[in-house]
Amino acid sequence: MSFEAASPRRAASTGAFSRIASAYGQELIILAAIVLLFAVVGTIAPRFTSQTNLTSIFVGNAYIAVAAIGMSMVIISGHIDVSVGSLIGVLATISGTLAVAGYPVWIAWLVPIVVGMAITSIIGVLVAYVRIPSIVVTLGMLSILKGGLISATGGAWITNLPPDYLIAQFRLLGVPSPVWFMAILTIAAAIWMRSTAFGRSIYAVGGNPEAARVAGIRVEATTVSIFAIHGMFAGIAAVLFATQLQVIQSTVPPNLELTIITASVVGGVSILGGTGTVIGSTLAAILFAAIGSSLIFLNVSAYWLRSVQGLLILATVLADMARRHRIS
Amino acid sequence: MLKKTLLLAACFGLVSGAALAQSTWTGGDELPTNPLACDGTPGAVVSKDYDGGVPTNAPDRAGKKITVVDIPKLIGVGYFAATTKGIQEAATELGNVDAKTDGPTKANIDEQITFIDNYITSGVDGILFAANDPVAIAPVLKKALAAGINVVGYDANATPDARQWFVNQAEFNGIAKSLIDSMAKEAGEDASFAIVTSTFTTPNQARWIAEMAAYAAKCHPNMKWLETVEAQEDNVLSFNQASTLINKYGDQLKGIFGMTSVATPAAAEAVTQANQCGKIAIVGLATPNAMKPYVEKDCVKSVVLWNPVDLGYAAMQVLRATADGTLKPGATSVKAGKLGELKVVNGSEILLGSPFVFDKSNIGQFDF
Amino acid sequence: MSDVPLSTTVKSFLRHETILAILLVLVLFVLAQQSDRFFTVPNLLNQGRLMTEVGLIALPMTFVIITGGIDLSVGSILGLCAILLGVFWHNLGIPLPIAMVLAIVVGAACGLVNGLIITRFKVPPLIATLATLALYRGFAEGISQARSVRGYPDWFFVLGQGEVLGVPTQLWIFIALAIVAGLVLTYTTFGRATYAVGANETAARFSGIDVDRTKLLIYTAAGLVSGLAAVIFVSRVSTTRSDMGTGVELDVITAVVLGGTSIFGGRGTIIGTVVGLVLVQALKNGLALSGVKGDGTIVVIGLVLILAILASNLFSRNGDG
Repeated sequence: MSFEAASPRRAASTGAFSRIASAYGQELIILAAIVLLFAVVGTIAPRFTSQTNLTSIFVGNAYIAVAAIGMSMVIISGHIDVSVGSLIGVLATISGTLAVAGYPVWIAWLVPIVVGMAITSIIGVLVAYVRIPSIVVTLGMLSILKGGLISATGGAWITNLPPDYLIAQFRLLGVPSPVWFMAILTIAAAIWMRSTAFGRSIYAVGGNPEAARVAGIRVEATTVSIFAIHGMFAGIAAVLFATQLQVIQSTVPPNLELTIITASVVGGVSILGGTGTVIGSTLAAILFAAIGSSLIFLNVSAYWLRSVQGLLILATVLADMARRHRIS
Repeated sequence: MLKKTLLLAACFGLVSGAALAQSTWTGGDELPTNPLACDGTPGAVVSKDYDGGVPTNAPDRAGKKITVVDIPKLIGVGYFAATTKGIQEAATELGNVDAKTDGPTKANIDEQITFIDNYITSGVDGILFAANDPVAIAPVLKKALAAGINVVGYDANATPDARQWFVNQAEFNGIAKSLIDSMAKEAGEDASFAIVTSTFTTPNQARWIAEMAAYAAKCHPNMKWLETVEAQEDNVLSFNQASTLINKYGDQLKGIFGMTSVATPAAAEAVTQANQCGKIAIVGLATPNAMKPYVEKDCVKSVVLWNPVDLGYAAMQVLRATADGTLKPGATSVKAGKLGELKVVNGSEILLGSPFVFDKSNIGQFDF
Repeated sequence: MSDVPLSTTVKSFLRHETILAILLVLVLFVLAQQSDRFFTVPNLLNQGRLMTEVGLIALPMTFVIITGGIDLSVGSILGLCAILLGVFWHNLGIPLPIAMVLAIVVGAACGLVNGLIITRFKVPPLIATLATLALYRGFAEGISQARSVRGYPDWFFVLGQGEVLGVPTQLWIFIALAIVAGLVLTYTTFGRATYAVGANETAARFSGIDVDRTKLLIYTAAGLVSGLAAVIFVSRVSTTRSDMGTGVELDVITAVVLGGTSIFGGRGTIIGTVVGLVLVQALKNGLALSGVKGDGTIVVIGLVLILAILASNLFSRNGDG
């Protein structure tokens, strides 16, 4: 992977456009893919681009985009978390249980975020200080969280959620709250990662930990913080996930971790660490949601749906590789 | 090279896919169907000899304390939490049964087989199961019978000779008739509808869809099937899929079938959030607790389901009767505690009863 | 390529294997105390039967992870090959023995495609196989149209349900392949190239190793063995389903990583993988026999995974990759 070393982010001298193009190459490709998808499918099936369908696409998948923000930071720092799906299942159950037990709703919203940060901080400590590879820690954590959740709940559903708890069904200025969460958190995280010393240190730790250490970054403490922040986003995602419907299943959503990791890496976050943005991961989450929706609109036989999805992921990744080749 | 390979693989796939038989509706299976009469006259009862298996050299367990393990498709989901509750109720009532539920955390044929295998080794007296696949589970169940263990299925059957009895919650064609009739009543004889199911490989759902297609063709020929979508056992995905269907078809869509207790409330929520209550009918299998908000708001008129607690209860009672020797091959009915006499049908199946239809008048009385 | 780092890593790994072996003996001892039905020959042989599919795939996965890669698509390849076995035999009327070979060949082709995407297009293995995970499973679903193929002839079940000399048939296959894999990894140029690619790809390239060819062969082998596992699996459960093998990749990776193969590449042994595999299977079986339920068992396996790597790291602080 020799060309990985050549940063796609180096400043081009030929003007603002190419600078943006080289800094946000993958984001632009995905944005183009989204626009193209909406244009083509919208022409064939006009209802696809109706406001209600756009809302459905954004609302139903906002929690994936939010979780992918934290996941992107973890991957940029050179790690991974395969337990995030189980974590969201556990946190959603905690949140719903508190809401039904009659605690004030803000407690039911806040506690899962705090618990999420606590759990991922433990992961962070094991990764940074005890030096166990993150995939090992989180593979183990996946089993622990999933088994623990089933032991605790037996899969009993949580029903009778109080209406004022269902934050994902609130609207502000006519726009559903998950869309606000997705947009604000993505933009805030993107700005924070570019313009603060800590944000930049995430890239430094992922790009070259030794160089980061020489440059005075406390690599271990930074890694734990990154995992804690990831836990915060997982907690927010869990609350959005829990409050979207009037029932919480108390189970681990199938394949959620794969969906979230795919959104991050297709969004341009390098699995080798050091590069990528959270804007890319959010756009990728939207793209996947739109693809899923469009396949129904295009009457693709449901039997072939997953192979089409696989081909599209592959196409996106190959396009990105071709672009990086040209840059380097 | 790569593109060629992929293209070749894709073409190859399409060709071999087309080589397989197509069912009328996506998601149905290929087994023969047996639609009921439109007016509800029960079909001719064909008496059939016992076709279940027999345990080899089973010790005399009559009246003795037995240990029973229940291995559902998966643990940690609401439906099987309810059947477990029924099994425990029956075990407590009987007093001479030590029952526990254990199983895989995902509906996976391989893991379920491993669990059953482990319990055969550990030496239980009885096994209750709900099969993830009727054929794949057969070898290990036969192994249990060969070890002298009493084997009774519920919810999802295995091939008959691999178990002694199967407690059938409701016959497939009966469920299909209830669902299609409800939809025709609520959405109209010429309604267009879509189906949200778990996965196409889940045997019960595939069977129901095939029977629904056959019954609709026979009794409601003007109803129009639009499509079937998969939504796993995931309520947020079910919600998203149902919302997409509503957005896609607009006014054309008059009804949605939910084929699982996960899909039905999620579809009802999608209709509610799209402000389509009363315009799009929701008919499906579901548990009352999850459906109460929608039924009370008149968004859903009726919900079809057997009581899963009763199903678990009946399965435990049948296993006890089998172990005691009071339920023998050739019997026509079995006493099942508080449920009274249950009928033996189809050789070696015990019928729990007709599917129950919940509506606004009675849903408040149920809590599961 | 200098031999110094290799020999030190082998040493540090023998240390991990020792820890793991001690752990395994301890676990076996405790479990045998808990249930007198655990440490019996029939039970242990039966467990061997049940772990064969995961075990087979774990062998090439050890090579894959030693090169610093990963293959998440193995479960999907298993599903696709199982479906194709049924389709070739039942729908296309190809004689079963040829259908079995063809299914395995398709598995190898799937692995080759993975390898090509990874080597030609330089896509990181995690992403490449994440995409083919969806793609191959999609083909399995599309081709099967969710139909099962059943009714195989009796001789076919010898492979998955039969015994040879009192030992399950597939266990012989696993043992033979494990020995071959162990020998290849330890004593051949190819094995040394595998370590070299994982330890430092650029250095390996400069020292004249054909890195791409090595990787291509390894990913193809992973696909081929997944195809073989599919045939054995179908024979064991006597039916094909398109959801076969879902999630197998995580079980396989758990066994390999528990066995001490470094996820960063460059280190790992087949013996370690086999011990890791046996440890997981012994825990699953032994805990069930001593009355622990499935949800409790997966918690224990998660803890053991973390603690085993933790212990081995504490004993060799330099070995953190």
